[in-house]
Amino acid sequence: MHWTGLSPDEARKFTADKNKSKRDKRKSLHDAVQEFINDGDNIGIGGFVNSRQPVSIVHEIIRQGRKDLTLSYQSAGLAVEYLAGAMVLNEEHLNIKRMEFAYWAHEAFGISPLFRYLAENSKLELEDWSNYNMSARFKAGSMGLPFIPCRSPLGSDMIQRNRAKVMECPFTQRPIMLLPASHPNVAIIHVQEADIYGNCRIQGPLFTCPEIAMASAYTIVTCDRLIEHDDMVRFPNRISIPFFAVDAVVEVPFGSYPGNSHGVHYFDEKHIPEFRSVCEQARKGDYSSLKDYYETFIFGVKNTARFMDKIPFSQVQQVQKIESGSRLDAGFTVLE
Amino acid sequence: MDKQYATDFTIQEMIVVAGARTLPDNKVIFAGTGLPLVAITLAQLTHAPGIVPVFEAGAVGPSLSRGLPLSVGDSRTTNKANYLLGLNSAFELTQRGFADIGFIGGAEIDPYGNLNSTMMGAFPDNYQSPKTRLPGSGGASDMACSCEQTIIIMVHEPRRFNEKLNYVTSPGYLDGSPNARWNAGLVGQGPQRVITTKAILGFDDDTRRMKLIATLPGETVRSIQDATGFKLIIPDDVYAFEPPTVEEIHLIREVIDPKGYFVKKTIKN
Repeated sequence: MHWTGLSPDEARKFTADKNKSKRDKRKSLHDAVQEFINDGDNIGIGGFVNSRQPVSIVHEIIRQGRKDLTLSYQSAGLAVEYLAGAMVLNEEHLNIKRMEFAYWAHEAFGISPLFRYLAENSKLELEDWSNYNMSARFKAGSMGLPFIPCRSPLGSDMIQRNRAKVMECPFTQRPIMLLPASHPNVAIIHVQEADIYGNCRIQGPLFTCPEIAMASAYTIVTCDRLIEHDDMVRFPNRISIPFFAVDAVVEVPFGSYPGNSHGVHYFDEKHIPEFRSVCEQARKGDYSSLKDYYETFIFGVKNTARFMDKIPFSQVQQVQKIESGSRLDAGFTVLE
Repeated sequence: MDKQYATDFTIQEMIVVAGARTLPDNKVIFAGTGLPLVAITLAQLTHAPGIVPVFEAGAVGPSLSRGLPLSVGDSRTTNKANYLLGLNSAFELTQRGFADIGFIGGAEIDPYGNLNSTMMGAFPDNYQSPKTRLPGSGGASDMACSCEQTIIIMVHEPRRFNEKLNYVTSPGYLDGSPNARWNAGLVGQGPQRVITTKAILGFDDDTRRMKLIATLPGETVRSIQDATGFKLIIPDDVYAFEPPTVEEIHLIREVIDPKGYFVKKTIKN
C-alpha cells in the first residue's frame, strides 16, 4: 500500500512520542507555517467549500512558497483556488503535486476556473473520492484504524482511480468498500474560538475539522477570537478539538474571509466573484489581472490585518450585518 | 379561488417548480447544492412545510427562512436545525436508513439513471488530462448510493443524455440488470424521478430504463425524445405537467433567489 502523508503505524508512533502537555501554543502565523509546513507535505484542509476555509494560513503559505504539496479535503473552494493561483503564476515558488478530494468549485459562485485549467493541462495528480469517503478516511485516521468500511460509492468509476478496496463483508457476505485512513502531515483549520492551549470551539457545522485535526501529525489553528481558558472549559462538551491535537494557535480575525465563518460573518458576495473572475481570465490565457490580485492582496501585504485594510469598510460591515448564524453561547471574555 | 397560472417564466424557473412539486411532505430529504437547494426551499414554503431537509455539511431539519443558502455548508443552513454535527454524521444517517430521499443534480446521465459529475473525455485513458474537468462527486454519489430513493434534477440537453457516460460518478441502476444495485452492495433503492427543463421522467420497473412520465409546458413527446441522446420508453399515459402558478414564480423571483444565484434569469442552451 502506498500511503501519502503518514502510514497508520507511523502516525501512531508520532503521536505517542509527541509532547502532549497543556502549554501556551500561541505563535505568529509566519512562524507557525514556517515550523510546521514543509515541501512535499500532505496538507489536510479544514472547512467545507467556502465556509471556514483556512484562507489566512493559505495566504501565508503562498507568501513563503512551498513545493510538491498533496492536498487532502472533502470539498474546497477558496483555499485551493488561492494555492492554485499561486501555482499558475509561478510553479517554481509554489506547486500542488497531488489532490485527494471530492469536490473543488464554489457552489453558487460557480465552478473553479483554475481546477479546469490545471486538470485539463495535466498539472495535477488526482485521486477522486466522495465527500463521505474523504470524511470517513479522516475519521479512520482519528480512530487510529488503518481503514474504515463504507457503502458508497460502490458501483462508481471512482473505485478504479482511488485506493479503495471492495471486499466481501465477512459477516454479511455482501460487497463493502474499505477506505484507507488519511493521516496528513499537517492540518490547517480555521475556527471561531480557541484558547491559548489549542482547545477549539466551533460554531455551526463542524464539517470534518475535528477528524482532520485528530488524524494529522501537526495541526495549525487560526481563530476569529482567542478566549479565556476558563470560558472554554465551562462547556467541556462544546470543545470540538482538544488542545493536545493542536500545535499552533494564531488569533486571526477574518481568517476565513472572504468565505463564511458561522456566527461571525457571511460570504463577501462582491470579493469572491472578483477573485473568481481574475482566475477565469487566467484560465483563458490572460494572467495580468491574477498577478495584480496576488500583488495587491497577498504578496503586497504582510498579514491578514493588512489584507483586510484593502477591503472597503462598507463590504466588511455588510458581511457581518447579513450573517444569520448565531452563537450557541454568547457570553465569553475576550483575552487581553 | 382558482389558481392563477404564470404566463411569463424561464425554463430554469419551471424546473424548480417541477422539482419542488415532486417532493412529498413529511419526508427526510437530503439535498445537494444548486437546483435541489432552491427546489427544496420552494417546497418548504408551499405544499410541504413538513419536509425535513438534511445538508451534508451537518445541518438536519433546519427552517430555510433566513435567505437562500449559497452553500450546503453555510450559516443559513443551520437556522433552527434539530441536529448539527458534521459530514460524517450526516452521511452516517443515509447509511442507517434515516434519509428517505436524496435530491441531487448532475452534468450527464444515462438511461439507467447513472450520473457523471467528474469529467468529460475518454476514461480511464485520459483521466489525468480530461477534455473538461467537472467539480467532482461532492456528496452526490453518497446520496445516490445510500438514501432510500433518489430524485435527480438537471438541464435537459442532448449532450447531457447519453447511452454511455464518460464516467460513472453517482450510481443509478448501474447496467440495468436485475438486482444490480443489491449485487453491488448498495443499500438504497435508486433513482425514482428525473426532473429536467423539459420533462418528468421515471424508470421502467423491469428494464430499469428511463421512461417519460410528463411533458413540461411548451414541450411534446417528440421534442423531448429529440433532446435525449438515447431512446426513451414512452408509455400511453404520458400527461402534460401543470404550469407554474403566479405564486410559485413570485416566490422564486422575489423571495427565494432574488439575486439569481441558482435560478439564472436567462440560461444558455
